[in-house]
Amino acid sequence: MTSFRERAVREMEAEHPAATVTPIMRKLVADSAAMLARGPADARQRAAAARAHAIANLEALHAETRRTLDRRGIGYHRAADAAEAVATVQRLLGNARRVAKSKTMVGEEVGLTHALRAAGIDVLETDIGEYIVDLEGRGPSHITAPALHLRRDRIREILARSGADLPDDDPVRLSRHVRDAVGAFFRDCDAAITGANTVIASSGRIVVVENEGNVALGVSHPKLHIVITGLEKVVANEAAALAVLEVLASSATGQPLTAFTHFLAEPARGQERHIVFVDNGRSRVLADPAFRELLRCIRCGACMNACPVYRTAGGLSYGTPYMGPIGAVLAPLLWPQGSFGDLPGASTLCGRCREVCPVGIPLDRMLASLRHREAEQAGSWAEKTAWQAWAAAFSHPGAARAATALGRFGLAHFAGLLERRRPPGDPRRAPSLEPERDPTRLAGGPPIDTTTPPTEPLALPPPSGRAATVALFRERAAEAGVELPAKVKREDGDLRLKANAAIASTGSVLLTGEAAARRPLLAARRVVVEVREKSVVPYPSDLEPFLGKGDALILTGASRTADIEKQIVRGIHGAERLAVTM
Amino acid sequence: MPPVALFVPCYVAALRPVDGEHAARVLRALGEETAVIDGRCCGQPAFNAGYPSEARTAGRELLRAATEHGTIVVPSGSCMAMVRDCLPGLWEGERGAVAARLAGRFQGFASYVVNHAALARLELRLEGVMAYHASCHSRPEQADALRLLGLVRGLELRRLAHEDECCGFGGTFAIKQPEISAAMMATKLADVTATGARVLVSADLSCLAHLDAGARGLGIDLETWSLAEVLSRALP
Repeated sequence: MTSFRERAVREMEAEHPAATVTPIMRKLVADSAAMLARGPADARQRAAAARAHAIANLEALHAETRRTLDRRGIGYHRAADAAEAVATVQRLLGNARRVAKSKTMVGEEVGLTHALRAAGIDVLETDIGEYIVDLEGRGPSHITAPALHLRRDRIREILARSGADLPDDDPVRLSRHVRDAVGAFFRDCDAAITGANTVIASSGRIVVVENEGNVALGVSHPKLHIVITGLEKVVANEAAALAVLEVLASSATGQPLTAFTHFLAEPARGQERHIVFVDNGRSRVLADPAFRELLRCIRCGACMNACPVYRTAGGLSYGTPYMGPIGAVLAPLLWPQGSFGDLPGASTLCGRCREVCPVGIPLDRMLASLRHREAEQAGSWAEKTAWQAWAAAFSHPGAARAATALGRFGLAHFAGLLERRRPPGDPRRAPSLEPERDPTRLAGGPPIDTTTPPTEPLALPPPSGRAATVALFRERAAEAGVELPAKVKREDGDLRLKANAAIASTGSVLLTGEAAARRPLLAARRVVVEVREKSVVPYPSDLEPFLGKGDALILTGASRTADIEKQIVRGIHGAERLAVTM
Repeated sequence: MPPVALFVPCYVAALRPVDGEHAARVLRALGEETAVIDGRCCGQPAFNAGYPSEARTAGRELLRAATEHGTIVVPSGSCMAMVRDCLPGLWEGERGAVAARLAGRFQGFASYVVNHAALARLELRLEGVMAYHASCHSRPEQADALRLLGLVRGLELRRLAHEDECCGFGGTFAIKQPEISAAMMATKLADVTATGARVLVSADLSCLAHLDAGARGLGIDLETWSLAEVLSRALP
């Protein structure tokens, strides 16, 4: 296996990922911060607490989850490793031959699609980004935006190679082309495989978030629905799940919530639902106090969005399904026998990952700890000896002064020698040791691009009073593209539903029970939801009393995708239009 | 022993000892006769490279030197971050508590100066234009550094686009991943040149040395000044 450095150099030379990725990520990080500032001030602390509690009580929560899932008739399965995970899914699939798969990082981790195809099963990646990278064949480069590394012209080429007739590379056209292929597959398929964002122990509900509607199709159309997820994904109760949801989409994509937030309960009549919890090294991480808190991770990808090394080297350089800072910590822990020992070196330890992590994982500290582990296990004799000599010098100030002076002398006199040992293309010279000071330089030139100092977005005060809450709901719903007509004229293909509640800060509506049925929702041309003003709550975390006991669905704007250059295309699976009447 | 000491970190002594002198000059102008702690290291290079026990050996000497002073001023953002955030954690139990108490005596140069009672008496004046590099590890001190630079009359400070992005140094990272490090550095230098300024100031000399090395290689006309140097040259 090649090293991270070799892969990164190859990527940088061949693809120059920064040109595509950096501008997108800069905007995304700013949008995420602004979106988080709209939520409750303590959202991140509560999300961190919910996840920390889950990790501290993991086995107890699993025992409870097993009982509550059983009560709902959902199969509970556990797989110790990747092979067992694949075998379990295969056994559950039985005679199913056509399988619609949506995004699941654990699926990537265990190589599910590849393994099922090798067994002769026809698996389609139904997420638009996954569909594209599946055709490209090099795998996802980001955990929430798999095709981030591909520009629209490349995507058009990739789709054209598989026979698509595309007159141009408009993201709307490209996205709809994939949607139509996926939609056709769903009309005749035997099973769906999805991931899960969290599983609620107290109620046995499975929470899945998505934008496109392919998960909505998967959980409602085929007879069999299999969820594959990590062992750590359980949380105690609805409040904990809502605390996670409150930071997940904002941190991941700068959205208030994703278009669909599913709370999946018992399967519909004639349907079967199973969940496979995959360990694959997680128990080992759990038992390791230095890294246990890593299992808090909610896979939002905020750390890679903010990571300058990820942006420069691109996600494919990591050589694992998990990239960026989370990947550089997770991969060596999940695959200690693998060749990921150099990934913790893929960081300047600038600390941005820790700052943006919504559940408070000290990723940079963990990277430093893993470097220690790697040095102990695989550090070269020369490197160890050098650091021991360094430490010996710095335990005697006199010796350290001499060493420092020697270093300075060396730099001054052998700078040319050092420069000849630089890798070709490295522009750096030895820094100036006796800086010259030319007063004319202080004059400067005219600015081409300076910025007003960036300020952290101010946390907004919660809306106070009924009228303010309703006004905020209307404003945010309109932002999400929801129509808010004073009077609704009946149209063909309308589906009329009553919301159980609505969320002001995100402009979302909550559907429960029969109203949450996905089939009619996906078939409608326009969804018209009636919201009672007194049921509008300020934040997602206030939704708990309205969630009911069964199936529930939070809609935040119409279905959409941003899988091509992060440009939003509305109306993927399901209605393009969502209207709200008060 | 004077109650206040100036820590001149190992790499400052090696790369640009004059920056230690500039820091001492500013402290003298504030009326502080400071002792100098040199020949020590906070341990960061070894710690970040994966050698914490070697970092502990080096850091122990630094903390030992701190026992004799009430305040130790650190004119380097990343050394300060190491002492504050990582060093005490290298010991367990009671020794860790002792290390944490000693680490608590360290204060960043910008924070120390900005909170000094005699600061108001200083006449700071320097005509010119500078760009400001916000180093990642100096972020806790950023407001203080900017306030100090704002006190220098005649100085126009230009902020960088994307100033919260790392310059690509990262200690051993710059050696182990030279290609990525150089690419990040070039991105940062492009933002620096876009400001039109030809002098770059930062509270962290390690970033500056990296950017200085890059500017020389890329033929960019740029001087890199530490915060201490700016203040020292702004003194009458």
